[in-house]
Amino acid sequence: MIFDAIMTGFVGVMTPLNLILVAAGTAIGLFVGAMPGLSATMAIALLLPLTFPLPTASGLSLLASLYMGAMYGGSIAAILLRTPGTPAAAATVLDGYPMAQKGLAGKALGVSLVASFIGGLISSIALLTVAPILGQVALQFGPVELFAVAVLGLTIIASLSRGSTILGLLSGSIGVLLAMVGMDNITGTPRFTFGNINLFGGISFIVALIGLFSIPQAIRLIENKAVAERKTVVNSITDKMLPTWLEFRSMLTTIIRSSFIGIFTGIIPGTGGDTACWFGYNEAKRFSKEKDKFGTGHPEGVAAAEAANNAVVGGSLIPTISLGIPGSSSTAVLMGGLMVHGVMPGPTLMTEYADITYTLIWAVMLANFAVLGVGLLLTRMSIHVTRIKDTIMAPLIIVLCVIGSFSINNNIFDVVLMLGFGLLGYAMDRLKIPTAPLVVGLILGNLFNSSLHQSLLISHGSWMIFLTSPISAVLLAVALLSILQDTPVFRWLIRALKAAVGKGNKASGATE
Amino acid sequence: MGNTKKLAALFLSTLAVGSMLLASAGAADFPSKSITVLQGFKPGGGSDALAQLTQPFLEKAIGQTFVNQYIPGATGAIAWTQLTKQSKPDGYTISITNTPMLMTNYIMNKEITYNIEELTPIANVVTDPGIIVVSKDSPFQTVQDFMAAAKEKPGQLTVGNSGVGGDDFFTTLIVEKATGLKFQLVPFQGDGPSWQAAMGGKIDASFNNLGITFPQIKAGNLRALALFADERNPNIPDVPTLKEIGYDVQSGSSRGYSAPKGIPAEARDALIKAFQAMGTDPEFPKTAAERALTLDLKYGDDYAAYLKKQEAAFGQIWEEVKDQYKTN
Repeated sequence: MIFDAIMTGFVGVMTPLNLILVAAGTAIGLFVGAMPGLSATMAIALLLPLTFPLPTASGLSLLASLYMGAMYGGSIAAILLRTPGTPAAAATVLDGYPMAQKGLAGKALGVSLVASFIGGLISSIALLTVAPILGQVALQFGPVELFAVAVLGLTIIASLSRGSTILGLLSGSIGVLLAMVGMDNITGTPRFTFGNINLFGGISFIVALIGLFSIPQAIRLIENKAVAERKTVVNSITDKMLPTWLEFRSMLTTIIRSSFIGIFTGIIPGTGGDTACWFGYNEAKRFSKEKDKFGTGHPEGVAAAEAANNAVVGGSLIPTISLGIPGSSSTAVLMGGLMVHGVMPGPTLMTEYADITYTLIWAVMLANFAVLGVGLLLTRMSIHVTRIKDTIMAPLIIVLCVIGSFSINNNIFDVVLMLGFGLLGYAMDRLKIPTAPLVVGLILGNLFNSSLHQSLLISHGSWMIFLTSPISAVLLAVALLSILQDTPVFRWLIRALKAAVGKGNKASGATE
Repeated sequence: MGNTKKLAALFLSTLAVGSMLLASAGAADFPSKSITVLQGFKPGGGSDALAQLTQPFLEKAIGQTFVNQYIPGATGAIAWTQLTKQSKPDGYTISITNTPMLMTNYIMNKEITYNIEELTPIANVVTDPGIIVVSKDSPFQTVQDFMAAAKEKPGQLTVGNSGVGGDDFFTTLIVEKATGLKFQLVPFQGDGPSWQAAMGGKIDASFNNLGITFPQIKAGNLRALALFADERNPNIPDVPTLKEIGYDVQSGSSRGYSAPKGIPAEARDALIKAFQAMGTDPEFPKTAAERALTLDLKYGDDYAAYLKKQEAAFGQIWEEVKDQYKTN
């Protein structure tokens, strides 16, 4: 039965029209992803009306491949311009841009491409085969479990604080505080809005991100401090793009781990690529033997973030098609598209509309190959971006930022907010305060706040609810462990343990 | 010299007559250009679903295109403030108006300064009735089970809604008032997370909307206990209305179109006529049914009266409960 549907879907996608649409969607996605401020969600929403004359399955194939393409596209700007093209590429900046500075821009893009391809492919296979089983996972995540996810996510701040933990925590706290701006979800009370209704909905995360990363970079170019670095970047066109087999093999574990992280982050409603890239990056660092290399231009860091965000595409589609629960904001728009095409998203997608659904899944699968193909062509060209003079590049970045931040909500207030964040980012750069923890705090702060409040309403004020839910208890234990890992207490414990074991061995040896 | 003067006079008078002609033509032939629709929510949401449903029919009736402009933020308040305070009242800028958010925004926040007096209501199109849903594994088989449990344990049953100020939040308060029961309200960010929490057994019930939860009810994942409507819905004929068990509660979220106050009478008439043409098109109810939207057509003054009535009702409820919620 399911096998039949899989075959029907495969035959369904293999029409010239669908194949062209998948390729076109991926190319549009790559472009949209590479432009700071244009996000996948926005592009899907804008293209939606254009798909109305198309057959349902074809229209959705176009939109889904766009989503996949944008996830890789975001890394192009992150690596070349130090400006994440989409929020999901924010973690890619950490190692991608330093690689470009070392003259390895091509290699960084190649690693990103391969990792994106594998991450996307693994998630598509999961989507095709075990979606009905994994879909149930989404229902297991209520406010209590989401709170634990948020706590675990916030512990990433510690590992992102290169150099000074204090400055990292400061930056993370600013992020969480900024996430509190806006109408409280539970009480309806506007907080820190200063009576300005533009702030009622809170600070738009994309607006903040554009300002924090792009404006300081533009200012840096204007100051011409980057002259020496840029010269080496230009030479990078000659370096090889695709990683060698040896390099690839050394990253494979990280890529596969990140892929699974991406799938699960995608499945959980309310978390998407913008969260998954940090989780993927953090776990890669946790399991790495060369922790110090992360943040200095380590290819594994790029691979970890990029595999995770492409895996989110398949992951977030799992609850969408098996239950009608969107796993991310992009899939929510996609679901709106289904409705306009006369398909009610819900549990019937895999039975009543199996032909459409499985064609869509195969389109997602094929989109991975399109990403690889189109990516190789387009990336070669995009490296030439680094040849543009700084004096032209800097104002160009600022123009893109202004257009991008305006087009999110068609609101001029967001442009002012973006510039404000730009100055904050510049000040933080000058004071050597890392901006990455602020981003993590801003992404998770709101989830942290409202899920805590909701959980306590459900438990009638008892904090035990976080320990009685098995998922939440495990996640919180992992969070505690990661905090301890970064404190001296943990090292004492390990030493004490080793000493105890050693003594025990000696003691047992003595009795023999 | 004389010739030039004559020419100038001729030119001026032609201009004057021409512009007068144009002006009168403009009034009689509304609309002479495309109409902008401000949407206070993101593309792909409920507002957009209404736009996609109605606009092909409206364009056929009025002979002009509609251009959607999305200005999300502050549950629609940014778009509605722009409509009432900054848009030219010429009928070429209108907005999709969603209740109860249209009123609860300013009832609950003094910083939001527009109100429905500054609108020319054109037509309501859909009303999605409120509904109580529980998980398929819930011990509550009927609404009576649910009410009995709530009576036994006042304030203990956890009931999800789509957020403070939304229709489900106010529906819960209205039901509490009508029945004398007390629930533990749990606000979520939207209808989706609310029914998902109920379906996963995280909360005891979700006060939601029929159109949103119908696919899950049909698939048997959610059980509907009661509908907040005048009569039963043909899609779920076995689900009683709250009215049947003795509580006269009707509630839901409505979506329609409004223009700013003071648009020319011709423009208002032309717009209302277009909606009436859409309402009588036999294709229209079919398309609406395909998208699970419950039609509730009210034109012009009827729509205005409906908004007014709702404003009074929500204002009164908020007056009674606001001390629990507001700290400022």
